[in-house]
Parts: sequence; structure tokens; C-alpha cells
Amino acid sequence: MLESESVVNTLLRDYLYDLVKEGKRLDGRTFDEIRPIEVKEGTFTKSEGEAWIKLGKTQVLVGVKFDVGEPFPDTPDKGVLVTNAELLPVASPTFEPGPPNEDAIEISRVVDRAIRSADAVDLNNLVIKEGELVYMIFLDMYVLDHDGNLDDALTIASLIALGRAKYPKVIYKGDGDVEVLDEKESLVLKDLPINFTFVKIGDALLLDPVLEEEMVAEASITIAINQEGKVCSIQKRHGYFTMEEIKKAVEIGRSKWTDVASVIRREI
Amino acid sequence: MSKLFKGEIYVQDKEVVVPGQPLARGLKPGKNVYVDEDKVIRAKKIGLVSIKDDGEVNVVPLAGAYMPKEGDIVIGIVSKISGSTILVDIKAPYQGAIPIPRGRAAERVDIFKYDLKPGDVILAKVKSFDGSSSLLLTIDLEGLGKLEGGIVIEVQPAKVPRIIGKRQSMLNLLKEKTKSDIIIGNNGRIWVKAPSHKELTALEKAIREIEEESHVSGLSDRISSLLDRELG
Amino acid sequence: MPLYVEKKPERLITEEGVRTDGRLPHEIRPIRMTVGVLERADGSALVEWGGNRILAAVFGPREVHPKHLMLPDKALVRARYNMAPFSTPERRRPGPDRRSVELSKVIREALKPAIFVENYPGAVIDIFVEVLRSDAGTRVAGVTAASLALAHAGIAMRGLVAACAAGRVGEFVVCDPNHDEDMWGEADMPMAMMMESRKITLLQIDGPMTPEQFEEALNMAKRGIEFVYELQKEALKRPYVLVERRIRGV
Repeated sequence: MLESESVVNTLLRDYLYDLVKEGKRLDGRTFDEIRPIEVKEGTFTKSEGEAWIKLGKTQVLVGVKFDVGEPFPDTPDKGVLVTNAELLPVASPTFEPGPPNEDAIEISRVVDRAIRSADAVDLNNLVIKEGELVYMIFLDMYVLDHDGNLDDALTIASLIALGRAKYPKVIYKGDGDVEVLDEKESLVLKDLPINFTFVKIGDALLLDPVLEEEMVAEASITIAINQEGKVCSIQKRHGYFTMEEIKKAVEIGRSKWTDVASVIRREI
Repeated sequence: MSKLFKGEIYVQDKEVVVPGQPLARGLKPGKNVYVDEDKVIRAKKIGLVSIKDDGEVNVVPLAGAYMPKEGDIVIGIVSKISGSTILVDIKAPYQGAIPIPRGRAAERVDIFKYDLKPGDVILAKVKSFDGSSSLLLTIDLEGLGKLEGGIVIEVQPAKVPRIIGKRQSMLNLLKEKTKSDIIIGNNGRIWVKAPSHKELTALEKAIREIEEESHVSGLSDRISSLLDRELG
Repeated sequence: MPLYVEKKPERLITEEGVRTDGRLPHEIRPIRMTVGVLERADGSALVEWGGNRILAAVFGPREVHPKHLMLPDKALVRARYNMAPFSTPERRRPGPDRRSVELSKVIREALKPAIFVENYPGAVIDIFVEVLRSDAGTRVAGVTAASLALAHAGIAMRGLVAACAAGRVGEFVVCDPNHDEDMWGEADMPMAMMMESRKITLLQIDGPMTPEQFEEALNMAKRGIEFVYELQKEALKRPYVLVERRIRGV
């Protein structure tokens, strides 16, 4: 649940808790069922790789852009990945215009951490002149319509956008200067770290929550699983979980990885 | 539509029109229309043209926010208790306020009704509205007050008349087929207590279909068969 | 040091009036409009105009926050024009700059005359224009999209506001300037009108024009606006037409 969505109507809360006891969800899904993922066709940005996806009624748009610049002093032999998420005011009546708030920054870091910890983007490949000049990747995530589980939607869209991204080849000319060639190079995705978000309602763990479920849930957690089935990153949000619940969530995530990965692979 | 009036009409009855679209000239302007400098009656909102027998030209809106009127029955969610006032979100541009009776006034009412907390869902009546800021609600009438159990479905306020139907025909159909208690607020909130989640799901599907297809005739028949299909 | 270098074309227009994208001076780029693309906004529209992709959303009339901005006798209208970091060849830093602050205001003033603000005293109508992809003429596409989103939200309006720009390239007056013409042309003139009442609600000029060229530009923009207006009406009615066709099995 985002801090900004905090008015909960008690009838909704009671109804969802009772429903979960019957083993049901509001929209008829099973507890571990992900909403349909739809990738919108067309060109919507001026980026080098993009994806507009719908996860149920949640909609996000991600664009990948490139630049060249100096590497970080502690990683002179790696390219730079910069992530940024914006909860646009078009996405929800509770989102306000302005610089990214706590929620937006957390989401951006959760997606970033999954990608970075799995080493999904080969940053070693993005060096133009070690210690002097490297490619910079800007991963900009836009939330367009908020109906719950922004993290997973943004992760899926980010992986598709990165997988589709192509950057121009350059020739280093010295003095921090390059000649830009017409030829394009595809970004290499070595892994698909996919986030799985769960909320806890009563004794149940619900995968891919809709907004109503997020609003009434006692706790939420986001877990990234990579292609080897490893847990790459975790973000416990509000509330608490038992050890058993977390292990169960990891197992569900592992069992769902192939389904989501095949959607992503199909789109790249 | 009998033509007992003089004037020009530029559209078909029941046609979908957009804001600014010229509808008629020399006729009586009704709801959701305006008359321009050249005396042309134009649509104010996206909606369906409705020309009455007496030549009154109206637009029945297909979208739009709920604007409160005195006497409306609304479903509200308590947002805040502030001193001696209960503030209520009624999905309108204005917060509703219910003063908590004190002293002698409290003796005349069921004071337990006012024992509300944020998040509670209530059925209330618009007691008075000054048109811009002060919106008073009341729960001090038989049948009003906190709603227990069930769930609230949010709908487009503009579609509320169609969900109720002529002489409540649609509402009765929904109630009968789904065996549910249903209360429709003018503000686009519907309270439902269904026998099980199956009926609720069917009801919600029916409501979404009414919202989407309200401009096409034969709605009752389609809704009836949808509910039979879902519950059959 | 930029990775994406803008190259100025050798010439912007031929002697016969053929432009860098092959259009003739009076021709407008391909346009597609869709309403209702967002679920949670009260009204929304996506306008694809040449290479522009503009998303507009409307919320309201709703409660004003902060309260002191409330107007007792009419609705407050707010508009925000915002460019996405991935909307330009070079990545844009997120957040407003002076240009987007000005455009927000210009767009608001273009739409406000069309809204019956007196019908919603004490409330606010929020308009958001998100430029997802920019390709010259984002403000006119933005006004067009925002006007659709307002109507789609069911807000009471005098009429739709349609917009289109004209410009001058060399001695030619052109309709709907493209990216090259916007960058290197002589003059740019975005314009918006309430088409039904023929009233101009947005007009800006950047670059010199003779009185004759100015008059030609006004006519050129007006013809573009007429075309845009027809598309707007069709886009607003389309969802209802499609539902009816589906039910009637046509």
C-alpha cells in the first residue's frame, strides 16, 4: 500500500477478509494468480527501448535512453545505470504533481535493486574508454494508471524495454570525445529478475494485489526471483510476516517465474 | 415525438452529441444545454439528445461528476470526526458534514446512530447545500445511518438513473435475479448485500454492462439474459 | 557531449513547396485520437499527431486542496504540461522548467473559456498534459487532447477546443510545422479555437511575418483546426458507436 492511499472503507475490508476465508478473491482469481499482462503495440516515446504494459487495469510506460559520460570512480570499468520512477498525477486521484515522493523513490529502488543484484544488464559491456568514458543508461518508469502492484508491472515493463533497447556505436576520439556511428548495438540482458508482490489478508498471501487488496492488507512484500530461481532482492513494505509466510511467498514466486519470463521473452 | 412546436432541429432524438454541438433553434432549452448568441441551443455535455413532446431540448449526460442536490440519498464514507462534526466523503467536490447533536438536541435523536468512526459507510440524505461549500447531511431518519455488512460498488454517477430504471424496473430486476439487498445512492455508490460472492460478481458484471450500454435500447433484456447466464 | 546530434537539413522546403517530410504547405500530419485510455482518471485522451504522443487526463470537479485556493463562485481550473524524460532525443531531466511552466499557463488559458466554471463553484478541475514523445507542436496537440479529456469527463463546456499551428519557412506559410521547421523555420504560430463559436483561445507567434503572411497563417491554422475538430468529435463518439455496433451485430 502506498502511503498516499490510506482511506479504507470498513465494509470493503470486512468483505475481503471474509472472502479470503472462503478461498476467494474479489476478481475471481486464485491466491497465486497473476492478472493478464498485455503489451501495447506502437511507439509512444523517443527512447531507444520502450514498453507500455497493462497488468490488469494497472498501466505503466517505461523508456530507456542512453548517453555517454564519466564512470563512477569506484567502478571505472562499468557503464552507469540510472533509474527513476514517477507516479504521475494522471494515474490516481491521490497522486500529486511534484518531484518523486517516498513511494516513488522506494518503487524505483526496488526495481533497480532487482536488476542490479541479478546483474541483469551487462554493464561491463558498456565501457568506451576505461576510467574516462562509459555509456549511461537511463531507465525512466512512468506510472499511468494505478490499480495496484506497481512494482511488478514496472519490473516487467523495464525488462522488456531494456531487452528491446539499442544504442548507437561510437568511436573514441580522445579527450572525452566520440564519433557517433549509425550502427546500433543491442543491450545485453543476461538475466530476468522478476518481482513478485504479495499482500497478506488474514492468513492468506495474495500474489499481484489489486488496489482494493493493497488498501486493506495487513502487510506487503516484494520478492525478486532470477532465472536460476535465486532470491535476488526483497523489500518488506508495511506490516509483518512470519518466516513460513516469506518462504511460501518465495516458493510461489519461483513457481511463477517461467510464466512471466515467457511473456517478457516473447516481447523482446 | 409529435411535432406540435415550431423551430429547427439539427439532430436526431437519442443521438450522441458532444459539447458545443448545435441541437436546435427556436425551441425550449432544457437540461445540460445552453443558448448561444444566435439563439442556437447547444449541448453542454457529452450525452444523448432528448426532445420532449412540448419541444424542450435536453441532453442526458453520459459522464460527469456527482453534484449534490437537496433531498438526494447518498452513500458516504466517514472521513474524519472533527470536534462536533462528522465529515463524510460522498464522491462529490464537497465534503458532507453531519453535526453531532449535543445537549437538548441529543435527547430528541437516537444518539447511538452518531457513534461513527472513519471508514464507516453510511446512508445519508442531503439536508441542505448552499451550492459551493456548506453541505449538510442528515442520518436522523428511519433507514438512514450506518450500513452493516455488504459492500459498496462505485459507478459513474451519470449512469445512476439507468441502473435504477423507469419506475425502478432495472433495480427490481437486479434485486430479484441476484436475491440481493441493493441500495443505490444518487452519488454513484451502490450498497449490495448478496447471498454469496457469486451473486455479487454477477451483479457487478450487470452494472458494468448497464454503464457501458446505457445508450443502446433493449438494455433490460440484455441485462436479464446476462444475469441468467451468470447465475443459471 | 551529446550522443544525439541534430542535423539541419540542407533545405527546409523546395521551390515547389515540398517540405522535409514530403508534405505540401497546406497539409497536416496524420493524427489519431483515442478517449478513455485511462481507468482511474475522470476523463482521458491519447493524441498521436505526427511523431507526437500526448496523454491528457482530467480529474474533477473535485475538492480543492489547499482550501485557500477555493473560489466561492466558480471552479478553479489548473493545468500542468509535463514532458517525459524519454520524450526528446536527448534525455530530459524530470521536473518543470520555465518553458513547461509557461505552456501550462497557456494551455490553461486556452481551455478555461470553454468550461462552464460557474457550474462548479468552490471545486477544482485538474488538467494534466503528459508529453510522452515530442515532435513539434506539443502544445497544440496537448490542448486538443486536454479538451477531449474534459469532454470525456462529462464537464459542462461551451464547445470543444481544437488547435493547430501554422508557420513560415522561407517565403512559404505552412500548416502544422514539423520538427525541422520548428527548429530552423522562420516563424511558428500555434493557435486554438472554440470551433463552434469561431473564438480564438490560444495564439502565440514566435518569428516575424508580414501582414500578408500573418493573414495567410491565420487561415492556414484555422483550416488545420477545422480538420482537428472533426477528428475530435469522431473520437468522442467512437466508443458509443462501437458498443452500439457490437450489440446490433453490424
